[in-house]
Amino acid sequence: MKALQVSRSVPKLGMARLASAVSPLAAAKLGPLAYTTVDEPELPGPGWHRVHTRLAGICGSDLSLVEGHASLYFDDVVSFPFVPGHEVVGELDDGTRVILEPVLGHEARGFAPPFEGAAPGDGDDYSHLSTGALEPGIQTGFCCSTGGGWAPTFVAHESQLHRIGDMPDERAVLVEPFAGGIHAALLAAPVVAARQDTTRPAVVAVLGAGTMGLAAIAGLRRYVPDVEIIVGARYPHQQMLAKAYGADVVVGPDGLQRAVRRATGCHLIGDHLSSGAHVTIDAVGTSATVADSLRITRPRGRVVLLGMPAEVTVDLTGLWHRETELKGAYTYGTEHLPDGRTARTFDLAIETATAVEAERLLSATYPLSDHVDAIAHAATAGRRGAVKIAFDMRTGDT
Amino acid sequence: MVDRNLQRAQRVAGAAEDAVRRAAMPLRNFGFPYRTPTVPRGVEVPPEVSGLGAHYDTEWARRPLASSVRTMIIEGPIRLTARVLTSPEIVGTDRLADLTSLDDPPPVIFAPNHHSHLDTGLMIRSVPLAWRHKLVVAAAADYFFDKKWKAALSALSLNAIPIDREVTGRTSSDLVKSLIDDGYSLVIYPEGGRSPDGWGQDFKGGAAYLSARTGAPVVPVFIDGTGAIFGKGMKRPKPGRTKVVFGAALRADEGESTRRFNARIQAAVTTLGDEAITDFWTARQRAATGTNPPLTGPEHTGWRRDWALAERRKLGTAGLRRRQQRRWPDLG
Amino acid sequence: MPRPGFVLDVDRSTPPTLFWHGEGFRLEKLPADRSRVIYAPEPHDAIDDVDGAIRTALLHPIDMDPLPSLLFPGMKLTIAFDDVSLPLPKMRRPDLRQRIIEQVLTMAADAGVDDVHLIAALALHRRMHEFELRHALGDRVYDAFEPRGLLFQHDAEDPDNLAFLGTTDQGEEIEINKRAAESDLLIYVNINLVAMDGGWKSTAVGLASYRSLRHHHNPTTMEASHSFMDQHASELHKSTWRMGKVMRDHGPKVFQIETTLNTDTFPQPFEFLAKREWEWNAKDRALYLASAKALAKAPPRTARKIFHGIEAPHQMTSIQCGEVEAVHKVTTQNVYDQQLVEVEGQTDILMLGIPYICPYNVNSIMNPILVMCTGLGYFFNLYRGKPLVREGGVVILTHPTTNEFHPVHHPSYIDFFEEVLADTTDPHVMSQKWEQQYAEDDWYRHLYRTTNAYHGVHPFYMWYWGSHGMKHVGKVIIVGGDAATVRKLGFTPASTMNDALEIASDTVGRHPTITHMKTPPLMIADVK
Repeated sequence: MKALQVSRSVPKLGMARLASAVSPLAAAKLGPLAYTTVDEPELPGPGWHRVHTRLAGICGSDLSLVEGHASLYFDDVVSFPFVPGHEVVGELDDGTRVILEPVLGHEARGFAPPFEGAAPGDGDDYSHLSTGALEPGIQTGFCCSTGGGWAPTFVAHESQLHRIGDMPDERAVLVEPFAGGIHAALLAAPVVAARQDTTRPAVVAVLGAGTMGLAAIAGLRRYVPDVEIIVGARYPHQQMLAKAYGADVVVGPDGLQRAVRRATGCHLIGDHLSSGAHVTIDAVGTSATVADSLRITRPRGRVVLLGMPAEVTVDLTGLWHRETELKGAYTYGTEHLPDGRTARTFDLAIETATAVEAERLLSATYPLSDHVDAIAHAATAGRRGAVKIAFDMRTGDT
Repeated sequence: MVDRNLQRAQRVAGAAEDAVRRAAMPLRNFGFPYRTPTVPRGVEVPPEVSGLGAHYDTEWARRPLASSVRTMIIEGPIRLTARVLTSPEIVGTDRLADLTSLDDPPPVIFAPNHHSHLDTGLMIRSVPLAWRHKLVVAAAADYFFDKKWKAALSALSLNAIPIDREVTGRTSSDLVKSLIDDGYSLVIYPEGGRSPDGWGQDFKGGAAYLSARTGAPVVPVFIDGTGAIFGKGMKRPKPGRTKVVFGAALRADEGESTRRFNARIQAAVTTLGDEAITDFWTARQRAATGTNPPLTGPEHTGWRRDWALAERRKLGTAGLRRRQQRRWPDLG
Repeated sequence: MPRPGFVLDVDRSTPPTLFWHGEGFRLEKLPADRSRVIYAPEPHDAIDDVDGAIRTALLHPIDMDPLPSLLFPGMKLTIAFDDVSLPLPKMRRPDLRQRIIEQVLTMAADAGVDDVHLIAALALHRRMHEFELRHALGDRVYDAFEPRGLLFQHDAEDPDNLAFLGTTDQGEEIEINKRAAESDLLIYVNINLVAMDGGWKSTAVGLASYRSLRHHHNPTTMEASHSFMDQHASELHKSTWRMGKVMRDHGPKVFQIETTLNTDTFPQPFEFLAKREWEWNAKDRALYLASAKALAKAPPRTARKIFHGIEAPHQMTSIQCGEVEAVHKVTTQNVYDQQLVEVEGQTDILMLGIPYICPYNVNSIMNPILVMCTGLGYFFNLYRGKPLVREGGVVILTHPTTNEFHPVHHPSYIDFFEEVLADTTDPHVMSQKWEQQYAEDDWYRHLYRTTNAYHGVHPFYMWYWGSHGMKHVGKVIIVGGDAATVRKLGFTPASTMNDALEIASDTVGRHPTITHMKTPPLMIADVK
């Protein structure tokens, strides 16, 4: 079958990196991604299913890989050559439509889960990621044994699958990114609950209103009570969506610090707020946004890194002095909600995606053969008024 | 050796004399009126009015050509000298804004204190532009106009006019009146001369009298610092900083005697002198109680006077003014 | 002999009319036969002997004893003066405040008064910079009082230095500067640039706190002030006069000094700005062309610098002092004498060129909120009788209206623009929903008290200032304004005057009457 595949070619990664500086289109052409004939992956064992891709989204982490920006950190938890794509809605051989929870957890690799009913992402030891029945890979889409969503067919373990009933594909493809955003939103909850002054709502700032940022906003509004959500979003359509998803105040990126200051009524000392947001969710993940996040978060507040940051340069003196907590938010697992419920992030994401009609975020779909255009579109989504770009394999033209 | 040089010099001198004599030979044929007439016997020649001193006629120096030369001198060397030697800070000209803002500012009489020859250059450079180029300076007839060249130089470069030091005579006051009627302003030092010891002297009535006679208002001026730069008796100037403080114009009140008006001018300059070393409010308060430090210095004689002068100079522009702590509202 | 104001009926041979356009100008040809242009009266002759006039006034006050007899040793004397918002543009040195205060101080010194404080009556305006204080007071007064700590800028947020004087019969609280309140004599030095200034507004506003100001600086009062230039039809003034009554009974003795200026507004080379276009000679035309072209090419900062460097040649036409209300009556008459222009009837479209300056952006930036305030708050209110534009008519402003704010002077304006205007442009709604938050924001308070920032609530006041205008007119169009910014203000952007007239036709029909009030120079339209 023909699929998109990433190979480990150092010159190509280098080329992509250089080319990405010029245009994402060039990066997609010259980079490590190739539209080529690959073998269909074999079922690794019992409990595995063959999944026929219907829609597969293009995620920010996919883009950074294609552009050669991914961190060396991934070198040992990824196995080449792999088919990317982890935001997938597909159907099983029997025609049941499923969403993929891409993390290749304990069960998929043949280990006992860390606790009863654990989600693939749970646990405090990542040794299973590079051992067990499969080649190394943190999740489907980075592992050569399972294939990925940017191919007509791949394999998935029973523990990774969520059956979705009659949810439209366009909404389902956004459930995975929503789960990421909601996970980040829920990381704000303990700080919000523990705040001292409960007479006023807690302030949560969100930097960036791409898919993840918007999902985080929706998650905050839905699951974290008593918060004032302030969003810095660059593009008009993002600002509009942020408002629609429940943000209280939406400003341009330059206005975020001012807006947070207004909401908290604090002072400004140098370029740091004297107090600030209780929690800041950085859904972009560049040096500049991490630094901004640290500046607008109050002492002993929490910064949640939702966008994959790769290598950043940040002055951490403020973090040291203000005792800011820097918290990563990779993916999803089992969540403890502020109202006392325990739920799997994916279930919450399905709930939320339905409630906010997440399909609004899917701006365009491309066939796999148009991957260069698709990736260029995804890389410039904000500027071109788009949010999420996906590959559509439903027409069977592959 | 020496003798031979002398002989050589003698020979050169002799040759030169011969040459001059030969050149001058034709002139011998020209007598009167080319030469001064001889006086017949038994005739008494009436004493000629001296063209010097108070009688020196400075009219030529106010003609267009001389004026434009003077403008160049004032804006060039005088300005430069004043700047280099005295680095003046000029304050208080805004008090004269009502007059300077008129299309044709009326003539005034500037009455500064006097410590140094530099004062005149400094004054010319400091008076508002409206008056600067129509300004005459009253200079001591017996000092600046005792020799032809001195008189010409003073008249040309400073537009000086000769004034008697002690009593303003008829000639001087007529001259001043006609000049003021022509729109010239006047700088006159009421002290009548430079300070002998660094302290001021009591004002003579000249400025008050001329003001009363001509109707031009008197602008009191205090010049601080020139005494230390080039005071009387100093061989060469010591560059330093100066301050020129202009006061508001004064007019003789109805029925006010010259003596009283003169006292008022002196008091005004004294207050400005106080203002130059303290500030406006302190000077005003002390003026109200008559406790401004007098221009003429303390009553003592001898070293205590010099001692006090040093203190006074320290407070002036040469010294640093003590500033109180800035006090905006205390914000805790 | 200065000519009075003049209303020109535009015909086909009328040359294009000069419009102010921020830091620049534009020439617009107005439709013939239905347009009028109002030209300000020419400047009255100023008093030649200003210092003499001041002295005479201080010695012969109205309804009060001569100043020297009010001064005695051991007294507490406070001299308050108008801040940097007056006059506009700043006047040439020496400033009137300097001349008056120097004479007052001289009299105080003669009387042996030791305890003298000077207070800049800022209300909620920004504190003045040192160079501004020096300009207003002169170096002599500044150097004598500032180092001693006797020169204050009123701090409306200093609880320890405010005194509560009582409430009016309508429940308005009066809280003013404590030192002023506890003085044996409070001398207030006014420059009454327009008819709105002075009277009890000087002390009851200039020295007041937020607690006191909110009783008249609110949409309800301001909407009912028709106009600010007519004291008897202005609720704002009625409120301050009620406060004045309380001050007279419970406050300090006030010696009011009010001065009026002529309208000689522009120095060379900008004299053509005050001339009627058909009287421009070759030099005026050359100067107009040179300056308009140069300003259009110059970077905005440079243009701003040039304009804010302008020192107006206006001079004093009268000074009167003594009892507040008696003095103010004379002053108002003097202002009217200079500024009133009789205008026959209202108009469908009122055109106003917004200049580079208003009272709140001296040495600063004319931000969008101030554009609105200058147009609908100030210029719209330059009337007596009824507004120049009919109810439901259109106001067309010309100004670049860029989204630009002075970060030091107007910090709360930025947030107001981003946050409040995004929510509502209705003065009543914002006063209910947002005003208090801004007034009590600790950061704004900090900036107001320690730096040169306007108070947090000030942008609201600017917006309320235009509430009467906004309610009265049907549409506001800004020609040449940045589209997004103008829309955020709730107005309509237009790129040219013709577009603006086209847009206006939806509201006022195809053949509206048009009036352009060519100000500055300042004037008041006396609409019959």
